[in-house]
Amino acid sequence: MVALRSVRLNDGAMMARAMMIAPEAIRLPLWLRLRGWLMAVLFAAVFLAACRELDVSLVVLGDGLGKLGKFVAAMWPPSDGGHALHLLYVVVQTLAMAVIGTSVATVLAVPVGMLAARNLVANPIIHFAIRRFLDLFRGVPVLVWALIMVAAFGLGPVPGILAIILTDIPRLGKLFAEAMENVDARQIASLRVTGAGRLAVLRFGTLPQMLPVWLSQCLYFLEQNFRAAAIVGVVGGGGIGFELQERIRIFAFDEVAFITLLYIVAVGVLDVASDALRARLT
Amino acid sequence: MPGEGGVSLAGIEAEHRRRLRRGRMWTAAQFMAVSLVLAASVHLSGAADNAIDGGWGERVASFFDRLLPQLRGEALLADRMTPGSLASWFHDLPRWLEAMRVTIAMAFVGTVVGGVIAFVLAFFAASNLNRNKALRLLVRRGFDAARTIPDAILALIFASAFSIGAVAGVLTLIVATTGSLGKLFSEALENAQMQEVEAVRATGGNWLQEMRFGIVPQMLPQLLSYWLLRMEVNLSLAAALGVVGAGGIGIELQRAISFTEFDTYLAILLLIVGCISVLDTISEHLRHHLIGEGAH
Repeated sequence: MVALRSVRLNDGAMMARAMMIAPEAIRLPLWLRLRGWLMAVLFAAVFLAACRELDVSLVVLGDGLGKLGKFVAAMWPPSDGGHALHLLYVVVQTLAMAVIGTSVATVLAVPVGMLAARNLVANPIIHFAIRRFLDLFRGVPVLVWALIMVAAFGLGPVPGILAIILTDIPRLGKLFAEAMENVDARQIASLRVTGAGRLAVLRFGTLPQMLPVWLSQCLYFLEQNFRAAAIVGVVGGGGIGFELQERIRIFAFDEVAFITLLYIVAVGVLDVASDALRARLT
Repeated sequence: MPGEGGVSLAGIEAEHRRRLRRGRMWTAAQFMAVSLVLAASVHLSGAADNAIDGGWGERVASFFDRLLPQLRGEALLADRMTPGSLASWFHDLPRWLEAMRVTIAMAFVGTVVGGVIAFVLAFFAASNLNRNKALRLLVRRGFDAARTIPDAILALIFASAFSIGAVAGVLTLIVATTGSLGKLFSEALENAQMQEVEAVRATGGNWLQEMRFGIVPQMLPQLLSYWLLRMEVNLSLAAALGVVGAGGIGIELQRAISFTEFDTYLAILLLIVGCISVLDTISEHLRHHLIGEGAH
Protein backbone atom coordinates (compact mmCIF):
# COMPACT_ATOMS: atom_id res chain seq x y z
CA MET A 1 0.00 0.00 0.00
CA VAL A 2 2.77 2.37 0.94
CA ALA A 3 4.64 1.58 -2.27
CA LEU A 4 1.54 2.13 -4.36
CA ARG A 5 0.84 5.48 -2.78
CA SER A 6 4.40 6.65 -3.37
CA VAL A 7 4.08 5.77 -7.08
CA ARG A 8 0.82 7.68 -7.27
CA LEU A 9 2.42 10.68 -5.58
CA ASN A 10 5.13 10.69 -8.19
CA ASP A 11 2.76 10.28 -11.16
CA GLY A 12 2.86 13.92 -12.19
CA ALA A 13 6.61 14.15 -12.02
CA MET A 14 7.01 10.86 -13.94
CA MET A 15 4.67 11.99 -16.68
CA ALA A 16 6.53 15.24 -17.03
CA ARG A 17 9.83 13.36 -17.32
CA ALA A 18 8.35 10.94 -19.89
CA MET A 19 6.97 13.84 -21.90
CA MET A 20 10.46 15.31 -21.97
CA ILE A 21 12.22 12.06 -22.97
CA ALA A 22 9.75 10.63 -25.50
CA PRO A 23 6.79 12.88 -26.27
CA GLU A 24 5.50 10.52 -29.03
CA ALA A 25 5.00 7.72 -26.52
CA ILE A 26 2.64 9.83 -24.38
CA ARG A 27 0.78 11.85 -26.96
CA LEU A 28 0.84 11.36 -30.73
CA PRO A 29 1.32 14.64 -32.59
CA LEU A 30 -1.92 15.97 -34.02
CA TRP A 31 -0.82 15.56 -37.67
CA LEU A 32 0.00 11.88 -37.17
CA ARG A 33 -3.41 11.23 -35.62
CA LEU A 34 -5.07 13.19 -38.42
CA ARG A 35 -3.12 11.24 -41.03
CA GLY A 36 -4.37 7.96 -39.58
CA TRP A 37 -7.99 9.09 -39.64
CA LEU A 38 -7.63 10.56 -43.10
CA MET A 39 -6.27 7.31 -44.47
CA ALA A 40 -9.10 5.34 -42.87
CA VAL A 41 -11.72 7.63 -44.39
CA LEU A 42 -10.03 7.50 -47.79
CA PHE A 43 -9.88 3.71 -47.65
CA ALA A 44 -13.57 3.47 -46.74
CA ALA A 45 -14.48 5.82 -49.59
CA VAL A 46 -12.54 3.75 -52.12
CA PHE A 47 -14.12 0.56 -50.78
CA LEU A 48 -17.64 1.96 -51.04
CA ALA A 49 -16.99 3.25 -54.57
CA ALA A 50 -15.72 -0.20 -55.57
CA CYS A 51 -18.83 -1.83 -54.10
CA ARG A 52 -21.03 0.53 -56.10
CA GLU A 53 -19.13 -0.44 -59.24
CA LEU A 54 -20.09 -4.06 -58.62
CA ASP A 55 -23.85 -3.48 -58.23
CA VAL A 56 -24.02 -5.47 -55.02
CA SER A 57 -27.51 -5.29 -53.59
CA LEU A 58 -29.21 -7.03 -50.70
CA VAL A 59 -31.82 -8.49 -53.06
CA VAL A 60 -29.17 -10.14 -55.26
CA LEU A 61 -27.27 -11.39 -52.22
CA GLY A 62 -30.39 -12.73 -50.51
CA ASP A 63 -31.65 -14.48 -53.63
CA GLY A 64 -28.26 -15.98 -54.38
CA LEU A 65 -27.65 -17.15 -50.83
CA GLY A 66 -31.00 -18.92 -50.91
CA LYS A 67 -30.05 -20.73 -54.11
CA LEU A 68 -26.57 -21.47 -52.81
CA GLY A 69 -28.17 -23.02 -49.72
CA LYS A 70 -30.22 -25.31 -51.95
CA PHE A 71 -27.08 -26.29 -53.90
CA VAL A 72 -25.21 -27.13 -50.72
CA ALA A 73 -28.18 -29.10 -49.39
CA ALA A 74 -28.26 -31.05 -52.68
CA MET A 75 -24.59 -31.96 -52.20
CA TRP A 76 -25.40 -34.41 -49.42
CA PRO A 77 -25.05 -37.34 -49.78
CA PRO A 78 -22.30 -37.21 -52.43
CA SER A 79 -22.93 -39.60 -55.30
CA ASP A 80 -20.64 -41.03 -57.96
CA GLY A 81 -23.55 -41.21 -60.41
CA GLY A 82 -22.60 -44.80 -61.24
CA HIS A 83 -19.23 -44.06 -62.83
CA ALA A 84 -16.74 -44.11 -59.97
CA LEU A 85 -14.15 -45.90 -62.10
CA HIS A 86 -14.39 -43.37 -64.90
CA LEU A 87 -14.00 -40.51 -62.40
CA LEU A 88 -10.95 -42.18 -60.90
CA TYR A 89 -9.50 -42.44 -64.41
CA VAL A 90 -10.20 -38.74 -64.99
CA VAL A 91 -8.35 -37.81 -61.77
CA VAL A 92 -5.34 -39.80 -63.04
CA GLN A 93 -5.72 -38.13 -66.44
CA THR A 94 -5.67 -34.71 -64.74
CA LEU A 95 -2.47 -35.69 -62.95
CA ALA A 96 -1.00 -36.90 -66.26
CA MET A 97 -1.81 -33.53 -67.85
CA ALA A 98 -0.02 -31.80 -64.98
CA VAL A 99 3.02 -34.10 -65.34
CA ILE A 100 3.36 -33.47 -69.10
CA GLY A 101 2.75 -29.74 -68.73
CA THR A 102 5.32 -29.43 -65.95
CA SER A 103 7.94 -31.53 -67.79
CA VAL A 104 7.68 -29.66 -71.07
CA ALA A 105 7.53 -26.26 -69.33
CA THR A 106 10.60 -26.95 -67.16
CA VAL A 107 12.59 -28.06 -70.20
CA LEU A 108 11.53 -25.08 -72.32
CA ALA A 109 12.06 -22.65 -69.43
CA VAL A 110 15.77 -23.53 -69.13
CA PRO A 111 16.90 -21.75 -72.33
CA VAL A 112 14.50 -18.88 -71.54
CA GLY A 113 16.00 -18.59 -68.07
CA MET A 114 19.53 -18.70 -69.51
CA LEU A 115 18.72 -15.82 -71.86
CA ALA A 116 17.34 -13.83 -68.93
CA ALA A 117 20.31 -14.50 -66.61
CA ARG A 118 22.67 -11.55 -66.28
CA ASN A 119 25.81 -13.64 -65.86
CA LEU A 120 25.16 -15.84 -68.91
CA VAL A 121 23.96 -13.25 -71.43
CA ALA A 122 26.36 -10.35 -71.39
CA ASN A 123 24.26 -8.13 -73.66
CA PRO A 124 22.20 -5.97 -71.24
CA ILE A 125 19.57 -5.13 -73.86
CA ILE A 126 18.68 -8.79 -74.57
CA HIS A 127 18.77 -9.60 -70.88
CA PHE A 128 16.57 -6.63 -69.95
CA ALA A 129 14.09 -7.16 -72.81
CA ILE A 130 13.56 -10.82 -71.95
CA ARG A 131 13.22 -10.03 -68.25
CA ARG A 132 10.53 -7.42 -68.94
CA PHE A 133 8.72 -9.79 -71.28
CA LEU A 134 8.70 -12.54 -68.65
CA ASP A 135 7.53 -10.05 -66.00
CA LEU A 136 4.64 -8.95 -68.18
CA PHE A 137 3.29 -12.42 -68.88
CA ARG A 138 4.06 -13.94 -65.48
CA GLY A 139 0.72 -12.75 -64.15
CA VAL A 140 -1.50 -14.23 -66.88
CA PRO A 141 -3.64 -16.96 -65.26
CA VAL A 142 -3.96 -20.40 -66.80
CA LEU A 143 -7.67 -19.88 -67.56
CA VAL A 144 -6.87 -17.05 -69.99
CA TRP A 145 -4.44 -19.22 -71.97
CA ALA A 146 -6.79 -22.20 -71.81
CA LEU A 147 -9.69 -20.28 -73.38
CA ILE A 148 -7.74 -19.33 -76.50
CA MET A 149 -5.94 -22.69 -76.77
CA VAL A 150 -9.29 -24.51 -76.75
CA ALA A 151 -10.63 -22.11 -79.38
CA ALA A 152 -7.58 -22.67 -81.57
CA PHE A 153 -6.91 -26.40 -81.10
CA GLY A 154 -10.28 -27.87 -80.11
CA LEU A 155 -11.57 -29.54 -76.95
CA GLY A 156 -9.53 -32.08 -75.00
CA PRO A 157 -6.43 -32.43 -72.87
CA VAL A 158 -3.91 -31.13 -75.45
CA PRO A 159 -5.02 -27.47 -75.37
CA GLY A 160 -5.19 -27.78 -71.58
CA ILE A 161 -1.58 -28.97 -71.48
CA LEU A 162 -0.55 -26.17 -73.87
CA ALA A 163 -2.21 -23.64 -71.56
CA ILE A 164 -0.28 -25.02 -68.56
CA ILE A 165 2.98 -24.78 -70.52
CA LEU A 166 2.31 -21.20 -71.60
CA THR A 167 1.46 -20.20 -68.02
CA ASP A 168 4.55 -21.80 -66.53
CA ILE A 169 7.30 -20.73 -68.94
CA PRO A 170 7.46 -17.07 -67.82
CA ARG A 171 7.19 -18.01 -64.14
CA LEU A 172 9.80 -20.78 -64.31
CA GLY A 173 12.00 -18.75 -66.66
CA LYS A 174 12.30 -15.99 -64.08
CA LEU A 175 13.02 -18.44 -61.25
CA PHE A 176 15.69 -20.23 -63.29
CA ALA A 177 17.27 -16.94 -64.32
CA GLU A 178 17.53 -15.93 -60.67
CA ALA A 179 18.92 -19.34 -59.72
CA MET A 180 21.56 -19.03 -62.44
CA GLU A 181 22.49 -15.55 -61.31
CA ASN A 182 22.99 -16.89 -57.79
CA VAL A 183 25.40 -19.60 -58.92
CA ASP A 184 28.65 -19.39 -56.96
CA ALA A 185 31.13 -17.66 -59.30
CA ARG A 186 34.19 -19.10 -57.51
CA GLN A 187 33.39 -22.66 -58.61
CA ILE A 188 33.11 -21.48 -62.20
CA ALA A 189 36.37 -19.56 -61.90
CA SER A 190 38.22 -22.59 -60.54
CA LEU A 191 36.91 -24.68 -63.44
CA ARG A 192 38.12 -22.06 -65.91
CA VAL A 193 41.55 -22.19 -64.31
CA THR A 194 41.77 -25.90 -65.16
CA GLY A 195 41.19 -24.99 -68.81
CA ALA A 196 37.56 -26.09 -69.09
CA GLY A 197 35.62 -24.86 -72.13
CA ARG A 198 32.24 -23.08 -72.06
CA LEU A 199 30.26 -26.31 -72.26
CA ALA A 200 32.33 -28.02 -69.58
CA VAL A 201 31.85 -25.03 -67.26
CA LEU A 202 28.09 -25.25 -67.81
CA ARG A 203 28.08 -29.02 -67.20
CA PHE A 204 30.38 -29.18 -64.16
CA GLY A 205 30.08 -25.68 -62.71
CA THR A 206 26.57 -24.31 -63.32
CA LEU A 207 24.49 -27.48 -63.68
CA PRO A 208 25.38 -29.16 -60.36
CA GLN A 209 24.49 -25.95 -58.50
CA MET A 210 21.31 -25.49 -60.52
CA LEU A 211 19.96 -29.02 -60.41
CA PRO A 212 18.58 -29.13 -56.83
CA VAL A 213 16.82 -25.78 -57.27
CA TRP A 214 15.51 -26.90 -60.64
CA LEU A 215 14.17 -30.22 -59.36
CA SER A 216 12.52 -28.79 -56.27
CA GLN A 217 10.88 -26.10 -58.42
CA CYS A 218 9.68 -28.85 -60.77
CA LEU A 219 7.97 -30.60 -57.88
CA TYR A 220 6.46 -27.38 -56.55
CA PHE A 221 5.12 -26.53 -60.00
CA LEU A 222 3.76 -30.06 -60.37
CA GLU A 223 1.59 -29.44 -57.29
CA GLN A 224 0.49 -26.09 -58.70
CA ASN A 225 -0.20 -27.59 -62.10
CA PHE A 226 -2.39 -30.32 -60.66
CA ARG A 227 -4.64 -27.44 -59.60
CA ALA A 228 -4.22 -25.71 -62.96
CA ALA A 229 -5.08 -28.94 -64.80
CA ALA A 230 -8.36 -29.02 -62.89
CA ILE A 231 -9.10 -25.43 -63.95
CA VAL A 232 -8.41 -25.70 -67.70
CA GLY A 233 -11.18 -28.27 -68.03
CA VAL A 234 -13.80 -25.68 -67.11
CA VAL A 235 -13.38 -24.06 -70.54
CA GLY A 236 -13.01 -27.40 -72.35
CA GLY A 237 -9.41 -28.38 -71.68
CA GLY A 238 -10.09 -31.94 -70.49
CA GLY A 239 -9.53 -33.52 -67.10
CA ILE A 240 -11.54 -33.25 -63.89
CA GLY A 241 -12.61 -29.64 -64.57
CA PHE A 242 -14.53 -30.73 -67.64
CA GLU A 243 -16.51 -33.33 -65.67
CA LEU A 244 -17.19 -30.78 -62.91
CA GLN A 245 -18.46 -28.02 -65.17
CA GLU A 246 -20.76 -30.47 -66.99
CA ARG A 247 -22.37 -31.44 -63.69
CA ILE A 248 -22.61 -27.87 -62.40
CA ARG A 249 -24.48 -26.88 -65.56
CA ILE A 250 -27.11 -29.59 -65.02
CA PHE A 251 -27.26 -28.90 -61.23
CA ALA A 252 -26.07 -32.44 -60.32
CA PHE A 253 -24.54 -31.19 -57.08
CA ASP A 254 -24.32 -34.58 -55.39
CA GLU A 255 -21.90 -35.64 -58.12
CA VAL A 256 -20.08 -32.29 -57.91
CA ALA A 257 -19.52 -32.95 -54.21
CA PHE A 258 -18.24 -36.47 -54.92
CA ILE A 259 -15.77 -35.33 -57.59
CA THR A 260 -14.58 -32.42 -55.46
CA LEU A 261 -13.94 -34.70 -52.47
CA LEU A 262 -12.10 -37.16 -54.73
CA TYR A 263 -10.00 -34.31 -56.07
CA ILE A 264 -9.21 -32.90 -52.60
CA VAL A 265 -7.98 -36.35 -51.52
CA ALA A 266 -5.84 -36.61 -54.68
CA VAL A 267 -4.32 -33.17 -54.05
CA GLY A 268 -3.51 -34.19 -50.48
CA VAL A 269 -1.82 -37.42 -51.64
CA LEU A 270 0.24 -35.58 -54.27
CA ASP A 271 1.31 -32.91 -51.77
CA VAL A 272 2.47 -35.51 -49.26
CA ALA A 273 4.34 -37.49 -51.95
CA SER A 274 6.08 -34.46 -53.39
CA ASP A 275 6.98 -33.17 -49.90
CA ALA A 276 8.64 -36.52 -49.20
CA LEU A 277 10.53 -36.40 -52.51
CA ARG A 278 11.60 -32.83 -51.93
CA ALA A 279 12.88 -33.65 -48.47
CA ARG A 280 15.09 -36.34 -50.03
CA LEU A 281 16.40 -33.94 -52.66
CA THR A 282 17.58 -31.24 -50.29
CA MET B 1 53.52 -47.73 -48.79
CA PRO B 2 51.17 -50.16 -50.57
CA GLY B 3 49.37 -52.45 -48.20
CA GLU B 4 49.86 -50.11 -45.25
CA GLY B 5 46.76 -50.16 -43.05
CA GLY B 6 44.98 -52.43 -45.54
CA VAL B 7 44.70 -49.65 -48.14
CA SER B 8 46.22 -50.24 -51.56
CA LEU B 9 46.11 -48.10 -54.63
CA ALA B 10 44.40 -50.93 -56.53
CA GLY B 11 41.83 -51.24 -53.76
CA ILE B 12 41.06 -47.54 -53.86
CA GLU B 13 40.70 -47.66 -57.61
CA ALA B 14 38.40 -50.67 -57.44
CA GLU B 15 36.28 -48.93 -54.81
CA HIS B 16 36.14 -45.82 -56.95
CA ARG B 17 35.04 -47.83 -60.00
CA ARG B 18 32.41 -49.60 -57.93
CA ARG B 19 31.03 -46.28 -56.71
CA LEU B 20 31.07 -44.83 -60.20
CA ARG B 21 29.21 -47.86 -61.53
CA ARG B 22 26.65 -47.70 -58.74
CA GLY B 23 26.16 -43.98 -59.38
CA ARG B 24 25.64 -44.55 -63.09
CA MET B 25 23.17 -47.36 -62.47
CA TRP B 26 21.27 -45.15 -60.03
CA THR B 27 21.14 -42.34 -62.60
CA ALA B 28 19.96 -44.77 -65.29
CA ALA B 29 17.27 -46.13 -62.97
CA GLN B 30 16.03 -42.62 -62.17
CA PHE B 31 16.07 -41.74 -65.85
CA MET B 32 14.03 -44.83 -66.67
CA ALA B 33 11.55 -44.13 -63.89
CA VAL B 34 11.02 -40.59 -65.15
CA SER B 35 10.63 -41.81 -68.75
CA LEU B 36 8.12 -44.41 -67.60
CA VAL B 37 6.07 -41.79 -65.76
CA LEU B 38 6.18 -39.52 -68.80
CA ALA B 39 5.18 -42.27 -71.22
CA ALA B 40 2.33 -43.31 -68.95
CA SER B 41 1.23 -39.68 -68.70
CA VAL B 42 1.21 -39.20 -72.45
CA HIS B 43 -0.84 -42.36 -72.80
CA LEU B 44 -3.26 -41.60 -69.93
CA SER B 45 -3.88 -37.98 -70.81
CA GLY B 46 -5.00 -38.96 -74.31
CA ALA B 47 -2.54 -36.40 -75.68
CA ALA B 48 -1.15 -38.93 -78.14
CA ASP B 49 -4.52 -39.60 -79.81
CA ASN B 50 -4.98 -35.91 -80.33
CA ALA B 51 -1.50 -35.36 -81.72
CA ILE B 52 -1.80 -38.00 -84.44
CA ASP B 53 -4.52 -36.35 -86.51
CA GLY B 54 -1.75 -34.37 -88.12
CA GLY B 55 -1.29 -30.90 -89.51
CA TRP B 56 0.15 -29.46 -86.29
CA GLY B 57 2.49 -27.16 -88.14
CA GLU B 58 -0.36 -25.87 -90.23
CA ARG B 59 -2.65 -25.39 -87.25
CA VAL B 60 -0.02 -23.50 -85.28
CA ALA B 61 0.74 -21.31 -88.31
CA SER B 62 -2.94 -20.50 -88.85
CA PHE B 63 -3.31 -19.80 -85.12
CA PHE B 64 -0.55 -17.19 -85.21
CA ASP B 65 -1.97 -15.81 -88.43
CA ARG B 66 -5.29 -15.18 -86.70
CA LEU B 67 -3.71 -14.05 -83.42
CA LEU B 68 -1.49 -11.29 -84.76
CA PRO B 69 -3.25 -8.10 -85.90
CA GLN B 70 -2.97 -6.99 -89.53
CA LEU B 71 -1.18 -3.72 -88.84
CA ARG B 72 0.01 -1.48 -91.66
CA GLY B 73 2.87 0.91 -91.05
CA GLU B 74 1.43 3.87 -92.95
CA ALA B 75 -2.02 3.58 -91.30
CA LEU B 76 -0.76 2.87 -87.77
CA LEU B 77 -2.01 6.10 -86.21
CA ALA B 78 -5.17 6.44 -88.29
CA ASP B 79 -8.68 6.34 -86.78
CA ARG B 80 -10.79 3.35 -85.77
CA MET B 81 -12.38 2.86 -89.17
CA THR B 82 -9.11 2.47 -91.10
CA PRO B 83 -8.09 -1.18 -91.31
CA GLY B 84 -4.51 -1.75 -90.16
CA SER B 85 -4.44 1.04 -87.56
CA LEU B 86 -3.73 0.57 -83.87
CA ALA B 87 -7.13 2.12 -83.12
CA SER B 88 -8.93 -0.52 -85.19
CA TRP B 89 -7.00 -3.25 -83.38
CA PHE B 90 -8.07 -1.84 -79.98
CA HIS B 91 -11.49 -1.01 -81.46
CA ASP B 92 -13.50 -1.30 -78.25
CA LEU B 93 -11.04 0.32 -75.87
CA PRO B 94 -13.55 2.49 -73.92
CA ARG B 95 -15.72 -0.51 -73.12
CA TRP B 96 -12.70 -2.62 -72.20
CA LEU B 97 -11.47 0.08 -69.84
CA GLU B 98 -14.93 0.16 -68.24
CA ALA B 99 -14.77 -3.63 -67.80
CA MET B 100 -11.23 -3.34 -66.45
CA ARG B 101 -12.52 -0.90 -63.82
CA VAL B 102 -15.07 -3.50 -62.71
CA THR B 103 -12.29 -6.11 -62.56
CA ILE B 104 -10.12 -3.86 -60.39
CA ALA B 105 -13.10 -3.16 -58.12
CA MET B 106 -13.74 -6.92 -57.85
CA ALA B 107 -10.13 -7.56 -56.91
CA PHE B 108 -10.14 -4.74 -54.34
CA VAL B 109 -13.41 -5.69 -52.62
CA GLY B 110 -12.53 -9.40 -52.70
CA THR B 111 -9.10 -8.82 -51.20
CA VAL B 112 -10.40 -6.45 -48.49
CA VAL B 113 -13.27 -8.68 -47.35
CA GLY B 114 -11.30 -11.92 -47.71
CA GLY B 115 -8.36 -10.31 -45.92
CA VAL B 116 -10.51 -9.20 -42.98
CA ILE B 117 -12.09 -12.66 -42.63
CA ALA B 118 -8.66 -14.31 -42.87
CA PHE B 119 -7.26 -11.85 -40.30
CA VAL B 120 -9.96 -12.65 -37.75
CA LEU B 121 -9.85 -16.42 -38.33
CA ALA B 122 -6.04 -16.58 -38.31
CA PHE B 123 -6.03 -15.82 -34.55
CA PHE B 124 -8.02 -19.03 -34.03
CA ALA B 125 -5.74 -21.05 -36.33
CA ALA B 126 -2.44 -20.02 -34.67
CA SER B 127 -1.32 -22.57 -32.09
CA ASN B 128 0.30 -19.99 -29.79
CA LEU B 129 -2.81 -17.82 -29.56
CA ASN B 130 -5.58 -20.42 -29.47
CA ARG B 131 -5.14 -23.37 -27.13
CA ASN B 132 -8.40 -25.04 -28.21
CA LYS B 133 -7.14 -27.79 -30.50
CA ALA B 134 -10.51 -28.79 -32.02
CA LEU B 135 -11.38 -25.22 -33.02
CA ARG B 136 -7.86 -24.68 -34.37
CA LEU B 137 -8.00 -27.77 -36.58
CA LEU B 138 -11.48 -26.87 -37.80
CA VAL B 139 -10.35 -23.41 -38.94
CA ARG B 140 -7.21 -24.82 -40.56
CA ARG B 141 -9.10 -27.49 -42.50
CA GLY B 142 -11.47 -24.76 -43.64
CA PHE B 143 -8.50 -22.77 -45.00
CA ASP B 144 -7.17 -25.91 -46.74
CA ALA B 145 -10.51 -26.67 -48.39
CA ALA B 146 -10.92 -23.07 -49.56
CA ARG B 147 -7.49 -23.24 -51.17
CA THR B 148 -7.90 -26.66 -52.79
CA ILE B 149 -11.24 -26.24 -54.55
CA PRO B 150 -10.33 -24.84 -58.01
CA ASP B 151 -11.32 -21.17 -58.19
CA ALA B 152 -12.92 -21.57 -61.63
CA ILE B 153 -15.24 -24.26 -60.21
CA LEU B 154 -16.21 -21.97 -57.33
CA ALA B 155 -16.88 -19.16 -59.79
CA LEU B 156 -19.08 -21.45 -61.87
CA ILE B 157 -21.11 -22.49 -58.81
CA PHE B 158 -21.44 -18.89 -57.59
CA ALA B 159 -22.40 -17.75 -61.10
CA SER B 160 -25.24 -20.27 -61.23
CA ALA B 161 -26.47 -19.16 -57.78
CA PHE B 162 -25.98 -15.38 -58.02
CA SER B 163 -26.41 -15.12 -61.81
CA ILE B 164 -23.57 -14.15 -64.12
CA GLY B 165 -21.81 -10.99 -62.95
CA ALA B 166 -19.34 -9.35 -60.65
CA VAL B 167 -20.99 -10.60 -57.44
CA ALA B 168 -20.10 -14.21 -58.32
CA GLY B 169 -16.50 -13.13 -58.97
CA VAL B 170 -16.19 -11.23 -55.70
CA LEU B 171 -17.52 -14.17 -53.69
CA THR B 172 -15.03 -16.50 -55.40
CA LEU B 173 -12.20 -14.11 -54.63
CA ILE B 174 -13.34 -13.82 -51.00
CA VAL B 175 -13.26 -17.61 -50.54
CA ALA B 176 -9.91 -18.04 -52.31
CA THR B 177 -8.34 -15.10 -50.44
CA THR B 178 -9.60 -16.31 -47.06
CA GLY B 179 -8.00 -19.69 -47.73
CA SER B 180 -4.59 -18.50 -48.85
CA LEU B 181 -4.21 -15.46 -46.58
CA GLY B 182 -5.62 -17.39 -43.64
CA LYS B 183 -2.82 -19.92 -43.95
CA LEU B 184 -0.12 -17.25 -44.40
CA PHE B 185 -1.48 -15.05 -41.59
CA SER B 186 -1.76 -17.89 -39.08
CA GLU B 187 1.79 -19.06 -39.87
CA ALA B 188 3.06 -15.50 -39.43
CA LEU B 189 1.19 -15.13 -36.12
CA GLU B 190 2.79 -18.33 -34.85
CA ASN B 191 6.17 -16.62 -35.21
CA ALA B 192 5.06 -13.58 -33.18
CA GLN B 193 7.06 -12.53 -30.13
CA MET B 194 5.08 -13.66 -27.09
CA GLN B 195 6.84 -11.37 -24.57
CA GLU B 196 4.68 -8.49 -25.69
CA VAL B 197 1.52 -10.52 -25.07
CA GLU B 198 2.81 -11.43 -21.62
CA ALA B 199 3.56 -7.78 -20.93
CA VAL B 200 -0.04 -6.83 -21.74
CA ARG B 201 -1.31 -9.74 -19.63
CA ALA B 202 0.85 -8.55 -16.71
CA THR B 203 -0.91 -5.19 -16.76
CA GLY B 204 -4.24 -7.03 -16.48
CA GLY B 205 -5.35 -7.02 -20.11
CA ASN B 206 -7.91 -9.55 -21.35
CA TRP B 207 -7.46 -11.78 -24.44
CA LEU B 208 -8.77 -9.13 -26.82
CA GLN B 209 -6.41 -6.51 -25.41
CA GLU B 210 -3.50 -8.95 -25.54
CA MET B 211 -4.15 -9.42 -29.25
CA ARG B 212 -4.80 -5.74 -29.94
CA PHE B 213 -1.78 -4.34 -28.11
CA GLY B 214 0.56 -7.36 -27.98
CA ILE B 215 0.19 -9.01 -31.40
CA VAL B 216 -1.30 -6.55 -33.88
CA PRO B 217 1.34 -3.78 -33.60
CA GLN B 218 4.26 -6.14 -34.22
CA MET B 219 2.60 -8.19 -36.98
CA LEU B 220 0.69 -5.56 -38.95
CA PRO B 221 3.42 -4.55 -41.45
CA GLN B 222 4.11 -8.18 -42.40
CA LEU B 223 0.41 -9.05 -42.71
CA LEU B 224 -0.27 -5.95 -44.80
CA SER B 225 2.58 -6.87 -47.09
CA TYR B 226 1.09 -10.36 -47.61
CA TRP B 227 -2.25 -8.68 -48.18
CA LEU B 228 -0.89 -6.42 -50.91
CA LEU B 229 0.81 -9.39 -52.56
CA ARG B 230 -2.52 -11.19 -52.60
CA MET B 231 -4.10 -8.10 -54.13
CA GLU B 232 -1.77 -8.54 -57.11
CA VAL B 233 -2.73 -12.21 -57.44
CA ASN B 234 -6.42 -11.39 -57.13
CA LEU B 235 -6.25 -8.79 -59.85
CA SER B 236 -5.15 -11.32 -62.45
CA LEU B 237 -7.51 -13.91 -61.00
CA ALA B 238 -10.41 -11.44 -61.27
CA ALA B 239 -9.52 -10.83 -64.91
CA ALA B 240 -9.54 -14.58 -65.60
CA LEU B 241 -12.68 -15.50 -63.65
CA GLY B 242 -14.83 -13.37 -65.94
CA VAL B 243 -14.22 -16.06 -68.55
CA VAL B 244 -16.48 -18.42 -66.58
CA GLY B 245 -19.15 -15.81 -65.91
CA ALA B 246 -17.78 -13.73 -63.04
CA GLY B 247 -18.01 -10.29 -64.64
CA GLY B 248 -15.37 -7.75 -65.61
CA ILE B 249 -12.81 -7.88 -68.40
CA GLY B 250 -12.97 -11.68 -68.63
CA ILE B 251 -16.41 -11.36 -70.23
CA GLU B 252 -14.81 -9.34 -73.04
CA LEU B 253 -12.23 -12.11 -73.49
CA GLN B 254 -15.06 -14.63 -73.71
CA ARG B 255 -16.87 -12.45 -76.24
CA ALA B 256 -13.77 -12.14 -78.43
CA ILE B 257 -13.42 -15.94 -78.43
CA SER B 258 -17.07 -16.52 -79.28
CA PHE B 259 -16.57 -14.31 -82.37
CA THR B 260 -13.23 -16.15 -82.93
CA GLU B 261 -11.47 -12.77 -83.06
CA PHE B 262 -8.06 -13.90 -81.83
CA ASP B 263 -6.45 -10.53 -82.56
CA THR B 264 -9.04 -8.82 -80.35
CA TYR B 265 -8.26 -11.42 -77.68
CA LEU B 266 -4.58 -10.51 -77.90
CA ALA B 267 -5.45 -6.79 -77.64
CA ILE B 268 -7.49 -7.35 -74.45
CA LEU B 269 -4.80 -9.62 -73.05
CA LEU B 270 -2.17 -6.90 -73.62
CA LEU B 271 -4.47 -4.37 -71.92
CA ILE B 272 -4.87 -6.67 -68.90
CA VAL B 273 -1.16 -7.34 -68.71
CA GLY B 274 -0.40 -3.62 -68.93
CA CYS B 275 -2.87 -2.69 -66.19
CA ILE B 276 -1.60 -5.46 -63.95
CA SER B 277 2.00 -4.41 -64.37
CA VAL B 278 1.22 -0.75 -63.55
CA LEU B 279 -0.76 -1.71 -60.43
CA ASP B 280 1.93 -4.24 -59.42
CA THR B 281 4.56 -1.52 -59.52
CA ILE B 282 2.46 0.68 -57.22
CA SER B 283 1.82 -2.19 -54.83
CA GLU B 284 5.51 -3.15 -54.84
CA HIS B 285 6.44 0.40 -53.77
CA LEU B 286 3.83 0.25 -51.00
CA ARG B 287 5.17 -3.11 -49.82
CA HIS B 288 8.77 -1.89 -49.65
CA HIS B 289 7.51 1.14 -47.74
CA LEU B 290 5.67 -1.12 -45.27
CA ILE B 291 8.59 -3.47 -44.70
CA GLY B 292 10.88 -0.46 -44.25
CA GLU B 293 8.51 0.90 -41.61
CA GLY B 294 8.40 -2.45 -39.86
CA ALA B 295 12.20 -2.57 -39.68
CA HIS B 296 12.66 0.30 -37.25
